[in-house]
Amino acid sequence: MITLYDYELSGNCYKLRLLMSILGIEYKTAPVDFYPGREHKSEWFLKLNPLGQIPVIDDDGLVLRDAQAILIYLAAKYDPSGTWYPRGNPALLGKISQWLSFADGITATASAARLHDGLFYALDIDAARAGAHRLFRILDEHLWFGEREDRDWICSAPSPTIADIACFPYVMLSEEGGIPRQDYPAIRRWCDRVKRIKGFTVMSGVFPAGPA
Amino acid sequence: MQQERTRTRWHPIAASHDLPPRHVFHAQLWGREFAVWRADDGYVNVWENRCLHRGVRLSIGINDGRELKCQYHGWRYANRTAGCTYIPAHPADAPARTITNRTYPAVERYGLVWSCEQPEGEVPGVPGLEREAPLALRGIPVNAPAALVVTALRAHRFQPNGRIDGSDAEMVVKAADDFSVALSARADGAATLAIFFVQPVDSGRSVIRGVLDRDPGAEARNAVLRHHNAGLSVLRDNVERQAAARPAPAPIEPVYERVPAALAELPEPSAHGRKAALRVTVARKWEAADGIAGFELRPLKGLLPTFQPGAHIDVHLPNGAIRQYSIVNGPGESDRYVIGVKREADSKGGSLCLHETVREGDVLAISEPRNNFPLRRDAVKTLLVAGGIGATPLIAMAQALHHQRLVHSFHYFAQNEAQLAFGDRLDGLKDTLVPHLGLTPQETGGRLRDILSGYAEGMHVYLCGPGPMLEAARAIAGECGWPDEAVHFEYFKNTRAIDDSSAFEIALARSCLTLKVPAGRSILEVMREAGVDMPSSCEQGACGTCMATVIEGEPDHQDVYLNDAEKRAGTKIMTCVSRAKSARLVLDV
Ligand SMILES: N[C@@H](CCC(=O)N[C@@H](CS)C(=O)NCC(=O)O)C(=O)O
Ligand code: FES
Repeated sequence: MITLYDYELSGNCYKLRLLMSILGIEYKTAPVDFYPGREHKSEWFLKLNPLGQIPVIDDDGLVLRDAQAILIYLAAKYDPSGTWYPRGNPALLGKISQWLSFADGITATASAARLHDGLFYALDIDAARAGAHRLFRILDEHLWFGEREDRDWICSAPSPTIADIACFPYVMLSEEGGIPRQDYPAIRRWCDRVKRIKGFTVMSGVFPAGPA
Repeated sequence: MQQERTRTRWHPIAASHDLPPRHVFHAQLWGREFAVWRADDGYVNVWENRCLHRGVRLSIGINDGRELKCQYHGWRYANRTAGCTYIPAHPADAPARTITNRTYPAVERYGLVWSCEQPEGEVPGVPGLEREAPLALRGIPVNAPAALVVTALRAHRFQPNGRIDGSDAEMVVKAADDFSVALSARADGAATLAIFFVQPVDSGRSVIRGVLDRDPGAEARNAVLRHHNAGLSVLRDNVERQAAARPAPAPIEPVYERVPAALAELPEPSAHGRKAALRVTVARKWEAADGIAGFELRPLKGLLPTFQPGAHIDVHLPNGAIRQYSIVNGPGESDRYVIGVKREADSKGGSLCLHETVREGDVLAISEPRNNFPLRRDAVKTLLVAGGIGATPLIAMAQALHHQRLVHSFHYFAQNEAQLAFGDRLDGLKDTLVPHLGLTPQETGGRLRDILSGYAEGMHVYLCGPGPMLEAARAIAGECGWPDEAVHFEYFKNTRAIDDSSAFEIALARSCLTLKVPAGRSILEVMREAGVDMPSSCEQGACGTCMATVIEGEPDHQDVYLNDAEKRAGTKIMTCVSRAKSARLVLDV
């Protein structure tokens, strides 16, 4: 059984809840009091992840940190359709990895801005927001041309991949960091599509879409 | 002033491709935000981006194809009119018609969606774009004032279609004004005209919306789009650098019209008399079933007022008669009202006149819709039980429940299949429609008992049909344990003989008037004579429009609108037919 070390308001933890909900994977959560308890910096947690970051999973003794790494593991192990992380397609795997690290860039900017606004983290808020806008411009352009090339998702595959899951949460929560998405209409349409994936689940600040 | 002049100018606020089905686009012009959405019938709605309830942005709401639903407390607004159709916190009430969001015009042209705050005239035609299928480019948002963007665009360079690999096009500025630049590019005999419209989003933000005079065709299209996207992105980066070096202009603060808090929370207090405020044309008249004529009524001008399922209109007939008909429309079907009229053998000139004299193209006077039969959306399960022509309000309800995917079943009693009305609408309701055909009154009773057994808390039933069937259904519902407040019904006429022999006094508490009601006159008539404006519709105690609150005294109920519990409570009275058992009634009028 998978245990997710989880904080309800964390978009990185939500990535994993989202994929597990879509794939119908059973798991239990071990809540980490990230704020205000700072439990991710506690002695017991640093033994699980010396970086002092959530999320972490423990799957029957296999302990993994980093949301993107965990998405790869979950999809590779638990997705019988093989579409979320298509192991036999090197070009696509390369692209997926490229966007997984892009997703970590979104965490470093949009999520940081949200921690500043919501949880009072001291950081350069203007730089965080400008960084997020730079990434959103790239993503919006990529998705806008995708719409013209019959590509609904971040990677060129007929169905979504873990790249979509990795990018979605902190894009969707960006307003909480003072980053509006008004200038990114193709991103807004892609968000609707992600919300319509069967098995989609929400978190605080993410609203469901209506029927297509 | 610049501000004033520009409020009357049309600007593109989106591209047509920004409005796929079931999506809400977030637009902005001169600081004012819009929620822009295309309904399933193709209509483009441009609305103030604020829910009338708590001001939440509607651009994060849900476009269900017919209505826009606010994410917060679920207020629903209708396609076209932006009138509120449902307030979950008041599930039993019909929202006041005054709860209507502000709308702005929308015109689609050249692949763009145009709007304007205070339009004077139509969207101007753009020379050069009228000939062939133009191609809208990807919109480029720029963090810079429109004037700066326009200046940069005058020196912009691109390659004509078919020559995008070169870099030597001959550029000519064909036309330019404060918010647009027309450029032509020529190279090796190829020429492309591009018009770049600059949408002033706010004082310091713009969107470049380019349109090419000609779509190069599927093969070349994406390469052309990428060519322009790349060029405009470079232009954007340059303009943004310039803008960043200057002091940022203060953002524009648009003025919002506020809805008075009381209004936003409450259903409409009172409409006025039997007024025929609207003129409609009969756009279509057809056989909606055996013996039932369907009428499609379209406005002579402007939009029809918002309706909700269960609502009816008064139709003022050419022969002077006034009749009530339920609106059959589904949600969001806001460009017309559809009604069904049964040819009644004993019709006092109402249905016969509609059937025989009124033709397509005729103009009719109708009232605004009124809803005395509102549909709750918070039931765990809803039963709709219709008899004959009583199906009309229930067809409207069934379509709303179906569209919102709420659990319901629709029992429709009729003599035979040919008498089931509005077959085209019923086709869409197949999953929940249960026709009951050709039953005797005894069999009908038995069937009603089957349908109404199994009441559970949270269920609601809506009944409409001929008097005897309604009486039977209400009695059976009572025996099956349905509480009065879960049984909703609408009679289309009051067949009880009205006893108007009593004489009594009424005191109108708010109007400070005491009036005598003699035998043979109704409370409504007496009040109207005294100049008290009271709404009414059927004037026979069936529709509920003329209801007043009783503060003191014992009413003599003669209507079929109130249920038994409401009658016993004695706090409401239908002023058109009911009277007093006590010598005096004090009314909250
Ligand atoms: N690359 C990591 C980043 C995870 C991350 O930044 N987690 C945040 C919470 S959402 C955290 O634990 N921050 C605390 C810290 O970095 O000290 C991942 O994707 O999992
Ligand atoms: S704010 Fe829109 S429903 Fe309450």
